Amino acid sequence: MSDQHQLPMEAWKQAQTLAINCPEFKPDVEEEWLAEETISCYNCRYRRFVGAGIRCMKALFPDF
Amino acid sequence: MKFYLCIDDTDNLDSIGTGTIAEQIQEKIIRQGYGPCCLVTRHQLYIHEDILYTSHNSSMCFYGEAPDDALATIIDLAAKHLDTVAAVGSDPGLCVLAYDESCHYDELMEFGIQAKQTILTKDDAMACARNHQLHLSEHGGTGQGIIGALAGVGLRLFGCDGEIKGALKNAVINQSYTVADLKNLPEVEQVLDLTSKEPLADTTLIRLDNRSKTVLYRHHYVLFVRQDKNNQYVTIPKAEIRQLGEHFYV
Repeated sequence: MSDQHQLPMEAWKQAQTLAINCPEFKPDVEEEWLAEETISCYNCRYRRFVGAGIRCMKALFPDF
Repeated sequence: MKFYLCIDDTDNLDSIGTGTIAEQIQEKIIRQGYGPCCLVTRHQLYIHEDILYTSHNSSMCFYGEAPDDALATIIDLAAKHLDTVAAVGSDPGLCVLAYDESCHYDELMEFGIQAKQTILTKDDAMACARNHQLHLSEHGGTGQGIIGALAGVGLRLFGCDGEIKGALKNAVINQSYTVADLKNLPEVEQVLDLTSKEPLADTTLIRLDNRSKTVLYRHHYVLFVRQDKNNQYVTIPKAEIRQLGEHFYV
């Protein structure tokens, strides 16, 4: 997967908007939440932390 | 006997978390009549494409007290629990150390620190484990979880790494608490000024501005806070705490 499908760290607003509109969003366990907003890609069970951001394991990120 | 227990890589995208499994093992140990056990700490390990973590590469560790002859029972109990609940496709690892205060654990602590900064192998983990006569076992899959399990014990021994699982989850955001109130929580032993690292007086008011966490710092559960532009002490967001962890705790 190319880096254009990677959401950089601290894109808080974007991550919230994406998660609110995502049919697959599922909150991870609380200790793994990173964002202040509960519904956020950073708090989703299906995100994977990579070097400089996160990737969506459901491949639902748009091109950034 | 003081023992350290750590597990890693027990989950998949849809299973219960490794932290929950650690707490389940802790409950079983206590039901066995052993304990007390301390709170579980979450240790962030190296994030790298070549490491087969599920989503965040962290391990979960705690220590407890038990009779000297209980080590085999604890290992057996934890191993059976892992074999029962670990998720399909996971690569679980278990590490149990019977702490001996006459031993030096520098290499083990260094292994933990290295696991936050570089890619380590199962061979690295097994070599380190042999040198410290501790229990290290694989429980399915590739067994890669032994690396994080061993690292977690090393980092817990090191005493300056890891977030306290479940910390502050019942505290109300945007509410202010005195330091004394916060120290009544089991997950808060000290409230320290982030800049000076000095403890704050029990009467100091702290506003919970965000989803903060206490961290293991010098073997204590510490809530770091700082003053805002109005000189009010406020908590530090979790994302920033994790960044601090890369340079500050270690």
